[in-house]
Amino acid sequence: METQGARAIAVQGRIVWCNLFSETRVCCWYRLCLLTMASVLGPLVDRACALSIDRNAGENAQSESESTREEQDFQHFVAIQGLFREVADRVKPFLVRIETVGGAQPVEIRDDPRGPSPEGEIPSPVPRPQNPFRDSPGGGFQIADGPTTGMIYSSDGYILTSSFNFVREPALVSVTLTDGRRLAADVVARDQVRKLAMLKIDAENLPVPEWAPVDEVRVGKWAVALGLGFGGTEPSISVGVVSALNRMTGNAFQSDVKISPANYGGPVCDLTGRVMGIAVPMAQRPGELAGIEMYDSGVGFALPRERVDQIASALRAGRSFYRGWLGMTVDPQNQDAIVILNVADPSPLRTAGAKPGDKIVQVEGKDVRHFGELVQATYMIPAGDEIYVTLERKGIQFGVKLTLARNIDLGPLPEIEEPLDPSVPAIPPTDESVPPEEEP
Amino acid sequence: MKVVTQAVSCLLALSATLCAGGFDRAIVTANARVVKLYGLAAGAQLGYGTGIVVSPDGRVLTVLSLLIDARRVRAVTSEGTRFAAQVLARDAERQLALLQLVPWEDAERGGVDSDSSSVADSGAPRVGPFPSFDPILGTPLKPSGDPEFPRNIAKEPPRLQPGDWIVAAGNAFKVAEGSEPVSFVRGVFSTRTRLDARRRVRDFPYRGEVLVVDAVTSNPGAPGGAVVNLHGFLVGMVGRDVVSNLTNTHFNYAIPGDVLAAFLRDTETKKNAAPTPTDSSVVNSLDRRSAAEASAEETMNPSRDVGIRLARAGYQKVLPFVERVKLGSPAAQAGLQKDDLILSLNGKNIGDVADFHEQMKMLGPDEPVDLVVRRDRRILSLRMEPTRN
Repeated sequence: METQGARAIAVQGRIVWCNLFSETRVCCWYRLCLLTMASVLGPLVDRACALSIDRNAGENAQSESESTREEQDFQHFVAIQGLFREVADRVKPFLVRIETVGGAQPVEIRDDPRGPSPEGEIPSPVPRPQNPFRDSPGGGFQIADGPTTGMIYSSDGYILTSSFNFVREPALVSVTLTDGRRLAADVVARDQVRKLAMLKIDAENLPVPEWAPVDEVRVGKWAVALGLGFGGTEPSISVGVVSALNRMTGNAFQSDVKISPANYGGPVCDLTGRVMGIAVPMAQRPGELAGIEMYDSGVGFALPRERVDQIASALRAGRSFYRGWLGMTVDPQNQDAIVILNVADPSPLRTAGAKPGDKIVQVEGKDVRHFGELVQATYMIPAGDEIYVTLERKGIQFGVKLTLARNIDLGPLPEIEEPLDPSVPAIPPTDESVPPEEEP
Repeated sequence: MKVVTQAVSCLLALSATLCAGGFDRAIVTANARVVKLYGLAAGAQLGYGTGIVVSPDGRVLTVLSLLIDARRVRAVTSEGTRFAAQVLARDAERQLALLQLVPWEDAERGGVDSDSSSVADSGAPRVGPFPSFDPILGTPLKPSGDPEFPRNIAKEPPRLQPGDWIVAAGNAFKVAEGSEPVSFVRGVFSTRTRLDARRRVRDFPYRGEVLVVDAVTSNPGAPGGAVVNLHGFLVGMVGRDVVSNLTNTHFNYAIPGDVLAAFLRDTETKKNAAPTPTDSSVVNSLDRRSAAEASAEETMNPSRDVGIRLARAGYQKVLPFVERVKLGSPAAQAGLQKDDLILSLNGKNIGDVADFHEQMKMLGPDEPVDLVVRRDRRILSLRMEPTRN
């Protein structure tokens, strides 16, 4: 590991040096001396110098320095592609191929009209489910039969991967290790919100990856994603950079590596082969397949170690995470306020004392002005987690603490007995033409 | 000498216009060796694409598509010169086609049909010489036919390895016209794998190996384009847009250089072996394919039996649980037991009973059967030699 780290730095060191050199504007003889001195510093520079002298005989100093720089750039790229390969070699022992048998395709329900239409989907209105609190896997994407990717999380047989790989609820799951052993696996727990899953196989003394500390995941760093989803035993490599931090309300970082079903559940590594994060489908909306339409787009997400460790300890203990619901209906078209139209019984909001006509003004101390912002503030909070919501009733604000519920724990929407606040336009909650949007 | 200087400065100018830095070598090399193709547009076929020049006398390799069925296919070189392209060979199995550039005017005057048989054997090359790629080694060739090795490369192209940079050159979205350079996308070579894909609802005929790349190549017009490594060696050709059956995603891939080379070798062999001029110039692998299929079907034994009966109870999708194993059969000898669940057959995942039967039908007459089964909590590999009834 140190050797590879040192190499990466060495490559960068050479480049820095080369750049300094190429910007030196000096006479040819002096330069030749410099070149001669430089040539002992490494074959890379040696080659560049030889080429520089050779190519530029009789040319002016300007083009000489330019072509030298170009040659150095070229050698830089040659060196760096070797590092990509080394990353793959280093990470390969921790990668596992996951295969599943059985299971159904997710039911196609578009749960968010703001989401872009995935390829091939007919943009016809899909009938809304009878129960507004029914969970929707999202998207219309058909899950394929091919293998998927995971990585060893602990040496005693826990395998970390993405919940995407189990959307079909397969009857059987098997894990193939790099050494060729194929073992039956149990799905210990799944996090449908952060899109992680934990498997367990009967194996001991497995090699574990080294994770990069969270503060070393920085924008602009090289990122190498690996996956086994295209078949075969050799991982596929995709290369890019870390393009943003703190996406998805602080859960994930963003990278332009090609992230797709071919590597969901696989690692996104730095140039020394340390795992910076685990690749997952994600989008700024709920739904287990949310984000799948962004595959290979250059906008991909990975969960860093900090988040993974927090979630993984719960997953190992067998706790699954599900989408969290407040249990109410609102008008998603209303851009001015989040007015509660109806509150399910039972539901977290009802327990907290919220009534139809109340407005939601803040979530966790942050202003929310319309439905979109409410989704943004809550979609990454799983059922069972507490949140602090500020409500407004007749101009008076008050805070309530409530625990988000699973959709299956929500009751039906009661008939509204009380008239709504006269300042709020009444919208019948069960009108078929304008269905009220349920909110997570 | 002056000519050389001019050529060098021209090249420098070109590299400066296109790009500078690490990828210029690859880009300049590839740009000079691809042609923009314009042909038949029908349905989803947009009527434009890309081809790779693979000989100084103007042979061009491209993907098999409706485009080349135009009465006259137009090919425009990197210098902006217009040629007609005539089809020399097609390969339905590999989904490749070989074209020959001829002067546009000649094609016009003679009203030559694109499948003309007069091209290949007409003696001296009538166009060129062009810069090209050696189709066997991938080496960029000068118009003279001499290899154009970069200074720092030994006289052998470097072997492509996962993680290596690649640049794909093609006329995606028909952005370039005339002498304008084609479009380039950069990425790395991801992995080499067997293609299992479809176009729309039909399975894609090519089932051989492909180079998966992480550059975005699956764009209209890009197929047929050259995929080169950092040094400018040809490593593959951008394939047609398909959806992978393994991931259900559109993905980016190239037909590997060795598959391209094999196609060209087959074309040559066929040409030399064929007795009549007509046959010699038009190698139609479609025929070969159908003949191969016919013979495969003849040799396929419909009553192939390894002594397994699978579960039949179930709705729509029946999981391939073994219901009965015939005594003394290959399956019994291999140790297969009742209630084993078959997971894969010769490396191919078996999702249900229908899958199993389909895969059994695909087996060659003497091909051994490798089964992976799940028994209780264990996963076992079993091998059996099939018998015939």
